[in-house]
Amino acid sequence: MPSFPEPAWFLALGRLMEAEGALFQRLGFAETRFAVRVVPDEGSDGGETLVGLVIDGYRLTDAKLLDRLETFDPDFVICARRSVWDRMLSEIAETGRPSLRHTLSSLALMGEEMWLESTDQLREDKFYRYNQTLQELLNLASHMPAR
Amino acid sequence: MGTVHIKDEARIGSEAKVKLQPSTYLQKLYQSGTPDLGWMDNMAEWGVRAKPGNLGLRLKDIQIGTYGQIPDQGGEHRSMAPRGAVIPEGLPSLGFTLNEKAEVWADNAAELYEEAVARQWSSARDIPWSELKPLPDDLERAMCQLCTFLTEVEFIAADAPTRWMSQMNQDFFEVKMFLATQAMDEARHMDVFRKRALANGGGLGTASVLSELSLKRIFDAPSFSAQTGRLHLLGEGFVLTMFRQGEFIAPCRVDQEIFRRCMQDESRHVGYGTMHLRAQLKANPGVAEEIHEQLDDAERILLETFSIPESVEPMAILMGGGVKNFDKGMDLQGQLWRRIVHEYLQRCDSAGLDRRPRCILPTDFSKLVEAPPDAVVS
Repeated sequence: MPSFPEPAWFLALGRLMEAEGALFQRLGFAETRFAVRVVPDEGSDGGETLVGLVIDGYRLTDAKLLDRLETFDPDFVICARRSVWDRMLSEIAETGRPSLRHTLSSLALMGEEMWLESTDQLREDKFYRYNQTLQELLNLASHMPAR
Repeated sequence: MGTVHIKDEARIGSEAKVKLQPSTYLQKLYQSGTPDLGWMDNMAEWGVRAKPGNLGLRLKDIQIGTYGQIPDQGGEHRSMAPRGAVIPEGLPSLGFTLNEKAEVWADNAAELYEEAVARQWSSARDIPWSELKPLPDDLERAMCQLCTFLTEVEFIAADAPTRWMSQMNQDFFEVKMFLATQAMDEARHMDVFRKRALANGGGLGTASVLSELSLKRIFDAPSFSAQTGRLHLLGEGFVLTMFRQGEFIAPCRVDQEIFRRCMQDESRHVGYGTMHLRAQLKANPGVAEEIHEQLDDAERILLETFSIPESVEPMAILMGGGVKNFDKGMDLQGQLWRRIVHEYLQRCDSAGLDRRPRCILPTDFSKLVEAPPDAVVS
């Protein structure tokens, strides 16, 4: 089984997204290319992982490992340490969604545990425009092993 | 003659003040029985076949041929004749005053319209009201005061731009359609925050003189672009961050859903405003000074708004988790203030407006209590 944050793990989420078509159609379409940056925890070995993702309408159409952000040109990058991602996925596995203050939006708002990177505020704002879609997509991880 | 029964049919027109002569065309048609059909040869661009994309047939899919050409100047007929239609003589003008593309246009207007239509939601259906649980008294009072503020200010983003909407040349219909969705969004925001205030044993709190002053200045802005600077760039950008804070401070999932959904709507509005100003400033750089002047005043009123307890304390109580954690709440609010200023200036940058040297918003929230020596008391 693929594990977070392998592209295959995200593509499996994408298949679940298509299976949950009614939920995402009710939220409305989203069109964005973004990246997830998983930063290693302090003291741990290994480098960071960068995965580029594309949502086109109601489908996750692409997920791939990135060497460089520039060639992928994402609207925004969601960045967090490995332990923060793991905590979110663990909470999703337990209850179907992260706890109130551990949602994507809440964590990115405070900017300490999770932060956004973007070259243009207008493009970063897509994170807010499609936030429910992004959160519901991650919440589908409750149907998958987290790691 | 017909099978539809019309009440008192014989009386219809018996006291009419206007008599209309039948048209020559109709007389000829009824005499000869032969239709004219001349209009069939008078189509603007016959043979166009728009193809739907993966999300259906969207506005961008029908931007083809001459139909996709947005004129720099709207039609001089100033009527609602559709862009791309054959324009006959004698159209009565509706007196549109915003006839230059740069005065209203944003390249993302059509995209945002489609997105808004697709991402509509219902405050009755999509908010899990049944999960609302009683909150500690201080948190409920704070939430109700916040909802009072939001109920008070949200609909300005419907009332104010739609005053200009009726002045926009119809050739820029994509902008009008987007603004119509914005008005619908704001109706829903006013609706959902009013419902929230009344749904959990609280009720509405105190309205605000300073908020009303801010709304009045938006209402009175001298041009659509000036209003956009004031409303979309600063006002809605500020409220967008408040919605994000709302999602963060939400004591329960009901509140989280409300704020998250409003946040999505609000970011479309900010997206339109930023792109409109970008287009306007590129075409007419001289407009920058007008927008700066609006923002000078809007920033000042925003700072004054943050000088009264009804504005400062509810958010601090919600951020801290209660009155007992008020200091912690103020600290968090200070952190978020930096984000508000940062994102506002980033949006100004994105719009092509160098606001940084002129901005009076301090980056440090605690500076709000330090008056500069030459402060103007208004």
